[in-house]
Amino acid sequence: AVTEPPPPPLPGSVSILMDSRSTGGMVELVMSLRQRHGADVHVCSLDSNYFIVSNRMAVMRQSQSDLAAMQNRKRLAERLSNMQGLFERVCLIVEKDRSKQGEVSRPFQRTRYYDNTLVALVRAGIRLLWSDGAEESAGLLVDLAKLESRKGQGIAVPLKVKGQRREEALQMYLSLPSVSHVHALNLLHNFSSVAQLMNSSVESIQKGGCMSRSRAEEIYRFLRRSCDCTLFTKTPKAGKIG
Amino acid sequence: NMDPKADVLENSDLPYGHILCHEKWRTSSLLQALKDGGVKILFEKELGVTDFHLPSQTRLLYVSECDIIAGNGYKRKLVRYRNASSSFQELVLVERTQLSEQYFSALQRFVVFDLGLSLLPVSGQTEASQLITQIVHGEGRDNPFRRKTSGQLLDSVTVISVQQIPGVGRVKALTLMQNFSSLKEISNASPAELEPIVGEGSAQQIHSFFHRNLITGHWGII
Repeated sequence: AVTEPPPPPLPGSVSILMDSRSTGGMVELVMSLRQRHGADVHVCSLDSNYFIVSNRMAVMRQSQSDLAAMQNRKRLAERLSNMQGLFERVCLIVEKDRSKQGEVSRPFQRTRYYDNTLVALVRAGIRLLWSDGAEESAGLLVDLAKLESRKGQGIAVPLKVKGQRREEALQMYLSLPSVSHVHALNLLHNFSSVAQLMNSSVESIQKGGCMSRSRAEEIYRFLRRSCDCTLFTKTPKAGKIG
Repeated sequence: NMDPKADVLENSDLPYGHILCHEKWRTSSLLQALKDGGVKILFEKELGVTDFHLPSQTRLLYVSECDIIAGNGYKRKLVRYRNASSSFQELVLVERTQLSEQYFSALQRFVVFDLGLSLLPVSGQTEASQLITQIVHGEGRDNPFRRKTSGQLLDSVTVISVQQIPGVGRVKALTLMQNFSSLKEISNASPAELEPIVGEGSAQQIHSFFHRNLITGHWGII
């Protein structure tokens, strides 16, 4: 068999991974990313609804009214917290609400709760970006990806995974702690086998995964840790301890 | 910063509920609204380009509609603001109005992408005062967005990882983990070592999962 060369990237085009769950204006956004900006967009199943624009940056979109709604906070905090575990940089695009057809768009009412949310987000290190709609969000995503690419953090591996064996290896990589979809793709393309990764040094994992040193160290330790699986096995003689 | 007095002020913590405000804001509606909101104000002439010092080492620069429409002067101010940074969190409040709207997108790119500062749009001084009041009164409150250390149990993550090997379910995963000390050890086990534990078919499957060459599709040589 011959190694498949990755398709040559279009000059100046960027790679973006996005989650398959769609929310308002997603079709418009993907069309704009692909057609207007010539971005290589791959839709896949991420752990939550966000975009990956580089080896270390993920971006979530949220409508202004959803951000202002108190009942959404717990879920939003959870999602952002998970993203912060997987990415060094997390951005939130706050998008103006789309006025539905036949509906008079009401001006956004700013509340104390909303202000408090914005301040908390900034304080938590989340970068906020402001958008008028799907079209502008697409432009921001592409600009972020380009900026990251200039800093040497752009996604440089093919986004699509071909073949069942590679898909199986990808699933193993994704199950490792603190490994995002883009790290898993990097590992898949830079290690010739799963065993090669398992036996690699921290430096090799860092380089092959295009990830931070601390993340590589976490993986290295995880692959070597022994696990007390007596916790998981059903013991018929539950009364006896030790 | 060349002014020793300003240094002293910058490095000292503000008393609770207080902000440090540039002298030029003394008679503004923003300031009146802050006072009405219970914020205590100290004035300082030597704040440089900063408009406000807020609690928790936060500084704030206000870009008005007027600044934006007048042109590029505010860009130099923003650069100076960014360059003067020390351990402060820097915020930029931008008046986003009907008149400044057309410039907003470019301004956002400059502030966030080029300078790496945090931008918060406001419609005017009233909204700005509400936001600043929230910053002052919210000091010390628990932040729901601050990342908590993961409570993930690594033992269960290991079980899930082992189950990603094709043909290995929960029972086989636990059996493997009882017989090998780590994921790495499982990956290095020979078919002969695996066979008495998971049977002949699985032993081959597991070994091949770890060692097949994912780049060429061939089997790797150990």
